[in-house]
Amino acid sequence: MNSVRTKNSARRAGFAAIGLACALLAAGAAFALDAPVDAHGQLQDPALEARYESISKQLRCLVCQNESIADSNAQLAGDLRRQVREMLVAGKTDSEIFDFMTARYGEFVRFNTPVEGKTLLIWGSPFLLLVVGAIVVFRVTRARSRMSLDDEPSHGPA
Amino acid sequence: MWKFLVPMALFLGLVVFFVLGLNPNRDIKALPSPLIGKPAPVFSLTDALDPTKTVSNASFKGQVYVLNAWGTWCIPCREEQDTLLTIAKQGVVPIIGLNYNDDRARVQRWLQQLGNPYTAVAFDPDERTAIDWGVYGAPETFLVDTHGQVIFKYISPLTLEVWEKEFLPRIEAARRSGA
Repeated sequence: MNSVRTKNSARRAGFAAIGLACALLAAGAAFALDAPVDAHGQLQDPALEARYESISKQLRCLVCQNESIADSNAQLAGDLRRQVREMLVAGKTDSEIFDFMTARYGEFVRFNTPVEGKTLLIWGSPFLLLVVGAIVVFRVTRARSRMSLDDEPSHGPA
Repeated sequence: MWKFLVPMALFLGLVVFFVLGLNPNRDIKALPSPLIGKPAPVFSLTDALDPTKTVSNASFKGQVYVLNAWGTWCIPCREEQDTLLTIAKQGVVPIIGLNYNDDRARVQRWLQQLGNPYTAVAFDPDERTAIDWGVYGAPETFLVDTHGQVIFKYISPLTLEVWEKEFLPRIEAARRSGA
């Protein structure tokens, strides 16, 4: 009698456990469907995921400094990736996300330096050097050709 | 004359760049904070020692205060601890601790074992407040003036020399202008 009761209660406990597990699984599935991010941390919406990948590649991880937050395993990079995902889900634009990061970490956080007043020298210096080089080459060749013209009579027959 | 002066000027320009850029005392990882001159980000977090209490920098409004970002996982923070305790003993300004990415039990153990230099320690386990302050490598120490503006940031463990040279004069000046 006693053993039957224990068997029954054990069976009942077993059913309860299975029921609970099913309920948990169902809840988990429902959560996965509702959540904007899947189990691998990817955004459900492919358009958002594409923007997320592009943005996270353009942001510098400030701990390792030569890696983007997409590549870095640093804790900060992970937390910044979370920040980008959350802002995308909240409907922020790319430039709002970049502004958010620059306001906190400075221009250095961006791999793509925007063309602005204070960055004009960075963007313009190659062209500036090209112009300077062209002027130098022009002057040198002109001076040489003038020299050879001047020299000509002395080389030719008198 | 020009043939001499132009290359000379270019050369001297290069020398200036090299002296600035190759200075061995310059910390190339220390970045200028865009927060300087801006209002300090306001936070309200739980107290690391007592989760039922909140710590907010809003309650330090009108005072010059120091905010020190740290974590028990940060080895240089351990190095900085003695300096912080000495500074706390001077009692010049309140020191708010911003503990981030950490475990509460570990934080409490750290503070019990090593001593607590902080007026209050805000507990920021998911780094949200630390991100708002642009923290990227602990320890980082901020100085906020009476108008609630960030006026200085120091990255690296504090030393008494840095405290006396960089912080104390700025605290004095902030108090004079704020009074």
